[in-house]
Amino acid sequence: MTIRVAIVDDHRLVREGLKRVLSAESEFVVVAEAGRGGDVQAIVVDHAPDVLLLDIALPDIDGLTVIDQVLKKAPETRVLMLSMHAEPEYSTAAVARGAYGLVGKSVSAETLFDAIRTVASGEKLPLERTLSSREREVLKLITNGRANGEIAVTLGIRPKTVEGHCERLMRKLDIHTRAGLVAHGRRIGLQ
Amino acid sequence: MVNMMPIRVVVADDHALVRSGVRALLAASGVDVVAEAKDGRELLSRVREHVPEIALVDLSMPLLDGFEATRRIPSVSPGTRVIVLSMHGDERYAERAGRLGAWAFLTKDEAPDRLIDVVRRVAAGERLLASDGDGSEPLSPREREVLQLIAEGKKNAEIASLMHRSVHTVRNHRARLMRKLGVRTAPALIAEADARELIDLGASGRVA
Repeated sequence: MTIRVAIVDDHRLVREGLKRVLSAESEFVVVAEAGRGGDVQAIVVDHAPDVLLLDIALPDIDGLTVIDQVLKKAPETRVLMLSMHAEPEYSTAAVARGAYGLVGKSVSAETLFDAIRTVASGEKLPLERTLSSREREVLKLITNGRANGEIAVTLGIRPKTVEGHCERLMRKLDIHTRAGLVAHGRRIGLQ
Repeated sequence: MVNMMPIRVVVADDHALVRSGVRALLAASGVDVVAEAKDGRELLSRVREHVPEIALVDLSMPLLDGFEATRRIPSVSPGTRVIVLSMHGDERYAERAGRLGAWAFLTKDEAPDRLIDVVRRVAAGERLLASDGDGSEPLSPREREVLQLIAEGKKNAEIASLMHRSVHTVRNHRARLMRKLGVRTAPALIAEADARELIDLGASGRVA
């Protein structure tokens, strides 16, 4: 059984490259492609792909909003998000909206093939470790340059507890310096 | 094209899927991708090893970004010409890449035919980017390198080992960076450098 795939990514070289990589495998057929979120509804209605590879960052419509449209227009199409940054927050947000998973563009072609097979079979991809809402708050304050003492006062918790949150953040994100946490926080827009 | 030797290219991008795609597109047109690299340091090693005609270089890469890698490529392979393949079509990026020695600047929005065309033209000796200027910038190349590694959460000892410098030297670079940017702590340094766009934290793909 071949898996029918549609690709939505605004970067044409990336999109056409992916198309070529998938087309080289006999089990995948690329049935449609687009560079804009606005074209997705027409694609899923016209081609009913098994899997829609959807870049999370599109110029015209937010990728998460596109998920809603696909669910409505073509509920049998499974959405697999693609992202430059495979942050746990992105996976959680996408799956909460109804996507079957998210893969970062830093994965190998084989990993992408596996993810497409999994999603096409009706299974969701496992979620990465996610941050609790309190950990997110602490990360936001760290990103804004607050010291642990200030964070404790702001959140009304003990300094020891803040230290615990910091340690967990560093472990979950695999970042081991405070400057690294600030860079990560700014990257994911937590300012 | 049958009588021509295939053009040899090294492709550098931190996203494996993008590399595979670019490789597939080039291969379909008879361009030979002899090696891939996932960061700027690996790129320099692969270029030294393979001495390709062309290095196709992404700007935003870990450990050593594409700008600094571009500047250093002549020192490991003087005949290798850099084509920058950027996510963003920002004019300032193109100018800066040209100042640092790149021969052409393409964005990932281009059609595959355009990529192939530019690879062929640069390999034939055509420079598509102006190269005026002396490459001078507010931060020294070493300072920029240390700045990127601090932003990636590396500690002084790791930075020293990556750069083959002493921890003492790294501390000096760090102190100079803080002085130049007018800050006192590493977290503030990252915030200031990001605000001044001296580093690219890869903000694309941000979820609102």
